[in-house]
Amino acid sequence: MKYIRALLSLLVAGGLTYLLNQPLGPAPALGPFFSPFTGFWQNDEAPQKVSSSELKLQGLKGEVIVKYDDNGVPHIFAQNDEDLFFAQGYIIARDRLWQMDFYTRVTSGRLSEVMGPLALDFDRYNRRLQLPEGAAKLAEVFMKDPDSKLVAESYSAGINAYIEQVEYKDLAIEFKILGYSPEPWSPLKTALVEMLMRKDMNARSDDYRMSNTLAAHGKEVVKDLFPNYPIEESPIIPKGTKWGFTPVAVPKVPEMLKASVAARLDIESENPGIGSNNWAVHGSRTATGLPLLSNDPHLGLSLPSIWYQMQLVSPTVNVYGVCVPGWPGIGIGFNKDIAWGMTNVGSDVFDFYQIQFKDKTQKEYQHDGQWRPVTMKINEFRVKEEAKAVQDTVRYTHHGPILYSDGQTPFMGDLPVGHALTWIGPVAVGNSLKALYMINRAKNYDDYRAIMPYLASPAFNVVFASNQNDVAITSAGQLPLKWKEQGKFVLDGANPAHDWRDWIPVEQNPYVKNPARGYVSSANQFPADPSYPYYLGWKFAPGERGIRINERLEKMTQATIDSLRLLQNDNFNVEARRVLPDLLKILEKDSSSKANPAYQILASWNLRNDPEELGPTIFERWVKELRLAIWDDDFPSTDKKAPMMLPTRDRTWALLQKQPNSKWFDDKRTPKKTETAADIVRTTFAATIDSLIDKHGRINEESWAWGKAKGTDIKHLVPLFKSFSRMDVINGGGANIVNATTEGGHGPSWRMVVQLDKTWPKAFGLYPGGQSGNPGSRLYDNMIDRWAKGELNELVFLKSKEENHPKIISTLKLGK
Amino acid sequence: MLYVLIILFSAIAQYFGPWWLMPIVCFVLCLWKADAALKAFGVAFFAAATLWLGYASYQHFVNEGLIGQKVADIFKIPNVLVLVVITTLIGGIVSGFAGMAGYYCRRALA
Repeated sequence: MKYIRALLSLLVAGGLTYLLNQPLGPAPALGPFFSPFTGFWQNDEAPQKVSSSELKLQGLKGEVIVKYDDNGVPHIFAQNDEDLFFAQGYIIARDRLWQMDFYTRVTSGRLSEVMGPLALDFDRYNRRLQLPEGAAKLAEVFMKDPDSKLVAESYSAGINAYIEQVEYKDLAIEFKILGYSPEPWSPLKTALVEMLMRKDMNARSDDYRMSNTLAAHGKEVVKDLFPNYPIEESPIIPKGTKWGFTPVAVPKVPEMLKASVAARLDIESENPGIGSNNWAVHGSRTATGLPLLSNDPHLGLSLPSIWYQMQLVSPTVNVYGVCVPGWPGIGIGFNKDIAWGMTNVGSDVFDFYQIQFKDKTQKEYQHDGQWRPVTMKINEFRVKEEAKAVQDTVRYTHHGPILYSDGQTPFMGDLPVGHALTWIGPVAVGNSLKALYMINRAKNYDDYRAIMPYLASPAFNVVFASNQNDVAITSAGQLPLKWKEQGKFVLDGANPAHDWRDWIPVEQNPYVKNPARGYVSSANQFPADPSYPYYLGWKFAPGERGIRINERLEKMTQATIDSLRLLQNDNFNVEARRVLPDLLKILEKDSSSKANPAYQILASWNLRNDPEELGPTIFERWVKELRLAIWDDDFPSTDKKAPMMLPTRDRTWALLQKQPNSKWFDDKRTPKKTETAADIVRTTFAATIDSLIDKHGRINEESWAWGKAKGTDIKHLVPLFKSFSRMDVINGGGANIVNATTEGGHGPSWRMVVQLDKTWPKAFGLYPGGQSGNPGSRLYDNMIDRWAKGELNELVFLKSKEENHPKIISTLKLGK
Repeated sequence: MLYVLIILFSAIAQYFGPWWLMPIVCFVLCLWKADAALKAFGVAFFAAATLWLGYASYQHFVNEGLIGQKVADIFKIPNVLVLVVITTLIGGIVSGFAGMAGYYCRRALA
């Protein structure tokens, strides 16, 4: 009996211990997770305090000093470049390892290994976009150049030094909740992070919608309503700039695709939030007589933040700025002599080809009058909690992958069957590490121009300013040499003239140095007006931000850091200035509209999307409804069978103002009535107010205030982890406002202003998050409130490790 | 006495090793010293519970105290106090059974 009792009790105790040490379905193992010695309780961080500490690290050549300021920014002082990048990797891994690891799992299409089946379609899509193949190519290039090889390898070694010594208790909370561990880093992983940026910036297309539109309405309508250049625009390169080069021959426009488009593609279309602003003001317009530079890249706002601030110092460099975790060097920043910033170019580099297969087996396809073989590749996915690996067969043509074939489940919406994709992501090479290595050390304009051949993709508008009083901007990147409108519609995969064949010579990318107007700027609008000899795309980001930035810079004479900061936070609504007076004139003539209190709000609105204003809440919703009401009968944008493109807002307002009697105002869905522009304006106004009342209650100063009605969500990378997110941050702005914060959670992901100087620059900046990736740290989201208010922090740019700066609070010594 | 010894040894063990050293410490100490099944369960339960409760509270109150509520929200646990109670119970129950097993094994070996 006593033996049985002993045995039973042992079984119970042992079994319980064993169970608590095992993951339970998607939940983490409860024992280690709840143990205050190892689990999530360990992720509560102590407040920052004055301290100095030492760590021994294998792999360092000499001693490295890391000084942390009160914002958690590390300032790294190394005696050579190997140690510098080693320390950069080590230090960023301490704060952001989970995020870095997550990024690489996304782009290698391996998220389902740790997140389970719900991530599988996303993984399939990312593999089909050939993100892993693109990364492999980039990693190869990194190894061929001595500088980028040093950077990539030292950085990886530093991250791995951290991974080797980190214990479970110190792992990021996301690892603990999801129950997995970080994988060793490598240059390939850095390349995978770069691929994430390429996808975010470039993987969008209107081709399919445009083809449907062309099929339904014909050439003339498309020419009229979908012009290749906007009516109101202020291009990046000032109008009238002479192109100082002889253009190469542009391919002739071939026969257009005659076949109808059979498949349905549902690729992300318009996304005004992915954009950015940057500008540099020449010394002739500033208070100091030397340039000022500003940049605010707009990206999907996330926690942990996409950016991480650092200062990197070695005998070859002293640079400050932000980097993307996983990507070594400084991406946007400044050194003693120069400053630089980036915005997305957004040219059309994502094209679909209609493929004609020989038969149902889809083993051969037509091209140039011949049958060419389709190659097959099988992707394998080891999905968490599933015993068997999932396989996914992808067919390739020389254009690229058939994004989805018959019978396969696409990631987004319905099936885009049988179309091949050519996009820049896996094709362009460049060498981003070399480019960053060079720009971080650049001293003047020539050094800046020297990086251009290494910037391939995504294409960036790289703004530049130096203390030699040069300002410049270049739409840098590898851009396909296209015939006019190539890729505006789905292309013919059988016609060799439709292939991408060549690139615009890199020195002929749009650029300008010290233009007469005394400033350069970009806001993702058209890089150049139609005088530029090459076709880059028919549609860029709406022009309002660029128009506003340029008109304000035009008026600046004694610009200071603060004038640039205020411009970054400019909430003026250019679109309202353009169209609201005409809309109000129509409402004015209608007594019931005029009696609506919302009319008075709009009539007395100062045209600013400030957080306390009610005007923008009404206007932004109304113009959306109005545009839909005008076009959706003729260009159904959400049609299941053949979705079309809505004409741009720019074209819409021109129609309203210049062709008020156009047939497009008539709603085809009401055959008995012939609507006019005025009818649509009145009915959408009433409908907008009704739906706003439904959503926010009766008109009142509080719930109708724009800041509250809009709200900006800054979500954790795993949106399921709601408590790690910051929702409904109150601020002004809007998608096409200079202060480009959107409801969907896009917006200025880093704001920086640099004042160049002969001796030492002054700089300000912050991003909506914090240096720490740990939700248990005060430094996880400490900059959000100041960001929402439009304030900036002064950046601590140390001259040397000996400098005694009051904001430096702790020192970490890394030795071998 | 046993109560103090369990806290002391399992604290040292868990500081350097995995969490499951705690039930092992309870088992070993109760094998050595416990004199009744319920008492063994009780003393191991309370010692382990004290340790986990104490250390979890220390982490929460001495540090910024930000993570508890966030974790509670993710797992749909009403508040951080309930999270502390769950922590305490997990540590206590597994250790209690280990202590009891220690006592029964002592009896079996006697």
